[in-house]
Amino acid sequence: MEYRVAATVEEAVALLGDREGSRPVAGGTDLAVVIADGLRPPALLVDVSGIPSMRGIRRADGGIAIGAATTVAEIASRSDLPACLSQGACAIGSPQIRNLATIGGNICNASPCGDTLAPLVALDAAFVLLSRTGGRTVPAEQFFVGPKETVLRPGELLVEILISAPRLAGRSAFRMIGKRNGQAISQVNAAVWLAVERGVIREARAAVGSVAPIPLRLRATEALLTGKAVRRLDVQAVLAAVDAEIAPISDVRASVEYRRLVAASLFRDALAEVAEAAGD
Amino acid sequence: MSGENLRVVGTRVRKVDGVELVTGRAKFTGDMKFPGMAYGYAARASVPAARIKGIDTAAAEAEEGVLLVLKGGDIPGPNIIGILPPFDQPVLATEVIRYAGESFALVVAESPEAAKRGARVVKIDLEPLAPILTIDESLAEGARPIHPQGNVTYAKKLVKGDVEKGFTEADLVVEGTFETSHQEHGYIEPEAVCAVPSSDGRVTVYASCQSPFHLRGHIAANLGVGAASVRVVQAYTGGSFGGKDDVATEIGTLAAVAARRLDRPVMIAHEREESIIGSNLRHASRIAIATAAKKDGTIVARRIRILLDGGAYASESPFVTVKTLVHVAGPYRIPHLHVESTTVYTNKTYSGACRGFGVPQATFASESNIDELARRLGMDPLAIRLKNALKAGDANATGQTYEGSVGLVQTINAIEERRSRLAPLPRNDERWLYGRGVACLLQGISNGAEGVDVVGASVQVSQDGSALVSVGLADMGQGARTVCAQIASEVLGISLPMVTARQVDTDSVHDSGPTVASRTTTVGGQAVKLAATEVRKSLVAMAARMFKVDESLVVLQNDFAMLSVDANARIPLRDVATAAYWTGYPLMNLAFSKAPDAVFDHETHQGNVYIAYNYGTHLFDIRVDKHTGRVEVLRHLACHDVGKVINPMGLEGQIEGGSLFGFGLAHMEEVLFRDGRIINANFADYALPSIKDRLPTEAMAVEDPNPTGPYGAKGVGEPPVAGAAAAFANAVADATGIRFRRLPITRQEILLALKAKPGEE
Amino acid sequence: MLIEFICNGKSTAVEARADMRVLDLLRDSLGLTGTKEGCGRGECGACTILLDDEPVNACILYAAKLQGRRVETIEGVAGKDGSLHPLQEAFLEEGAVQCGYCTPGMIMSAKALLAKNPRPDVAAIEEGLSGNFCRCTGYAKIVKAVLRASGEEMRGGAAPGEEMRGGAAPGEEMRGGAAPGVTT
Repeated sequence: MEYRVAATVEEAVALLGDREGSRPVAGGTDLAVVIADGLRPPALLVDVSGIPSMRGIRRADGGIAIGAATTVAEIASRSDLPACLSQGACAIGSPQIRNLATIGGNICNASPCGDTLAPLVALDAAFVLLSRTGGRTVPAEQFFVGPKETVLRPGELLVEILISAPRLAGRSAFRMIGKRNGQAISQVNAAVWLAVERGVIREARAAVGSVAPIPLRLRATEALLTGKAVRRLDVQAVLAAVDAEIAPISDVRASVEYRRLVAASLFRDALAEVAEAAGD
Repeated sequence: MSGENLRVVGTRVRKVDGVELVTGRAKFTGDMKFPGMAYGYAARASVPAARIKGIDTAAAEAEEGVLLVLKGGDIPGPNIIGILPPFDQPVLATEVIRYAGESFALVVAESPEAAKRGARVVKIDLEPLAPILTIDESLAEGARPIHPQGNVTYAKKLVKGDVEKGFTEADLVVEGTFETSHQEHGYIEPEAVCAVPSSDGRVTVYASCQSPFHLRGHIAANLGVGAASVRVVQAYTGGSFGGKDDVATEIGTLAAVAARRLDRPVMIAHEREESIIGSNLRHASRIAIATAAKKDGTIVARRIRILLDGGAYASESPFVTVKTLVHVAGPYRIPHLHVESTTVYTNKTYSGACRGFGVPQATFASESNIDELARRLGMDPLAIRLKNALKAGDANATGQTYEGSVGLVQTINAIEERRSRLAPLPRNDERWLYGRGVACLLQGISNGAEGVDVVGASVQVSQDGSALVSVGLADMGQGARTVCAQIASEVLGISLPMVTARQVDTDSVHDSGPTVASRTTTVGGQAVKLAATEVRKSLVAMAARMFKVDESLVVLQNDFAMLSVDANARIPLRDVATAAYWTGYPLMNLAFSKAPDAVFDHETHQGNVYIAYNYGTHLFDIRVDKHTGRVEVLRHLACHDVGKVINPMGLEGQIEGGSLFGFGLAHMEEVLFRDGRIINANFADYALPSIKDRLPTEAMAVEDPNPTGPYGAKGVGEPPVAGAAAAFANAVADATGIRFRRLPITRQEILLALKAKPGEE
Repeated sequence: MLIEFICNGKSTAVEARADMRVLDLLRDSLGLTGTKEGCGRGECGACTILLDDEPVNACILYAAKLQGRRVETIEGVAGKDGSLHPLQEAFLEEGAVQCGYCTPGMIMSAKALLAKNPRPDVAAIEEGLSGNFCRCTGYAKIVKAVLRASGEEMRGGAAPGEEMRGGAAPGEEMRGGAAPGVTT
């Protein structure tokens, strides 16, 4: 396959728009698996990992804009990002993978078990997409349409991930579990975000991964949490709501029963961590 | 040569091949480059069972860079490999596909990529058959025979005493059926061979393997040449654990055939997926046990039926069948036994040698059942095992007795001593369930009932006082070269840096069979000791002449010949060696160590089956997270009777590594099949333990010298696998109150079982 | 394309396809066979090299990414005079090498860890080496070797009245320390 390194976003979208069967690549960690599995590699790979404007985190309208080519390692190491996002980044792969993998790659690969995805949905993140013909911003919740399927059109490049000021202001947590302790692919993961004022949950966001074809936002659970006193939650009711909303399946990684049980445990732990922090 | 005053044996020495490994200079097979080297890649079937109607290689041959495409008919010899009769495995399938992943053609090309491209376009016309995927399907009435002789690969019985009588004498009977699943060896270096033809008509095959002589024999037979035309040189081998036996003969044969056809070196290096799908697995098992005992815990009789899933080809199933048969009754003094062990064929990747060889599966079943017996009687789990433990002079399951080196009781006592000093386990709380499990095991050392047990070794001392040691057994990381160097160093008085221990070269040492069954130190080391002892005689005789004293006064130590009566009298060994050479003393010896023959009744398996057994006791303290099923290991004690510790660091390494291997079998690992195809042929979905999953193993050794091993040593490569697997399962039972009857006991299984338990919220 | 980069301290230029795996570039084009292939998918860590001091899997890295960067492989770890790096000495002394196939990758990850964290505790070592599989040793001696190389004796205590020999601390707290986000 052909491999071109783009120096700017303009160059990247021009290359992506020109050629049929072209795909952006940053860390290449998911792509390597695709190729190892014997699936046809794209005709042209456009390497966006070095594009300066796509790397790093900047302030934007009171919130932040994360360059899509920012490595997972960098996101994992930062203490100024919402906890659920850096915790999710920490859970990805291994140090070696995290040094190459990017948040944009994790998003565009769109595996239901992607560890930054549930956090981004819980944070109401928005994805800035650019192409040769223009740009659009898609909310995280609408970006994923199925396992490994997104709304990305041919020629479109994810350049930035926006997180709004209100979402930065709350508290969040992430939990996952896999088959082993190190380098584990998530069987289930969960992200919880709360905005708490004077001990009352003003706003809640919750998303769980690997229990549906896409990272799933739990609206009914959020509604149940909203307006409640954070220190006196009816946890059983919350977990029942979680269980009612998720739709896990059995696959090579876990059974549907296990996913149900452990989704509840992970959610409870994440919620407990956030409630503890938010209640201060 | 007595066991006292050992200077090298028993000390912590660094691996003799360590420096090249930590610097990356060591060339593994895949690192080798030869001028003109070509690459082979196999075309494999993706259905588990089918008749082959035709194979069309035209498209592959036309692919750019492709030099040659081999089919089964292109193999000059019989196109057969296999470790044992019935020798039922083709190198390349020609008429029938028996497992998904079976090779039916080899594409050889200028580059690995070209070979892979070619393999993708070899066309095979198949008539699929309904695959047989379970033991029950295989044994069902009217089941399609996977092989002409039927679906039973091998079946044997063990009969001791009168089990019917035993059951009538008992006060209670405890029954249970236990299952284990297929495990993958998971060595980090996938299989690789490189065949290099030479102009004299020979071919040298460098291989990552553990049985170089099997390799030589099969390559020669399939090439249609005499064994002397083939030379196998074992390369640095990145782990094997039993998995590089059959498959090395398969790809070694293919590489050699291609190399001779092209008159070019040919490399075949498997990718990870090929390694998992295309090389042997550990047998899955179903073991039904009924144990009859007295109220005081004395085991009177056991009736056991073992069924093993051996996959598509026999591989080493006959040996595994027998080993499981002989070991399942456990390290106990039991007068009446009736055991049946049967391996069946299924249409899955074939199973064969895997560290432990059936003993881990058997030990899990047996020790779980013993644990249940203890609970029924209200007896302490160590106490019941101690009560029944084999001692010197007791007849074991095959009626064999040993005068010594039956150190089981010492291992139980060592664990009990530690246990008595431990603070009690914390109480269960809202989150954690605490538990403790123990298990005892035995593992027969060396080939025993499985066949002739010989190893050849040579020791050569040069005029400069350095020594070269060659042994017919492979170092796959377990430290064979180091142990052999230590033994030679000890005997000859030559310092370790002056001793070189080579990897196996079939040209230069006696056929020593496979490096399996933890026999390296015991039989291999003994051969080295014999060879070194003969050479020592020449050095001592020469030194005595130089000192003008009686030979009995000469001591060889630290590269000097010295007098026991005068510390100042010393002659450098290099001077002794030079003088010995010029005087005409032989300075090289080829020795042959043969273990005593296994002599036993093949119908009842009563008789002398193994030269020695390693015994052990393991203890696990764990806690289980009720919310997720996660297990944390708080403590792991592993005590083994190894006869004599030759290399303490090596011993710890085998116990630590072997225990994690067994823990993986018991808790984390399972080869998953769907419609007969392996669906987790990678390290992401096959849960190989990471560093974060490691055990806090405390390795303990007990020395009860084995008269047939060098300095009394017995092997320890395999025993920890069985001990860890069984003790872990018992710990989970203790923590959860649930007896898990199937391995692996994963987090998922634990959580589901906890939730299903009555009384759990 | 011509890929120019620093390899083990030396300016290096290699003509290679942009999408060539760095693992193949190192092993085949430069003859540096110390970096191993174990899985080809970035799962086992046998191919770990340092790219601008950070550990990465060479099997999933494309050659184009080397342009202008610094690469370190196992061949660059020992001194030019052949003296072994403290990590290499420690691995030998502690028996952390059995078959040796995972060792180069393991040492590269450990080297990167010690450069960032000269006195790591056991949890940090486990995290730093979590991308390197070993099937032979059970990892215990690898952890000890890294501690030794960092100048630290084996930390971690035994329960009162108990002596510890080998192995890690059995302790009550989460052994290995959960990374944030991993369920405890």
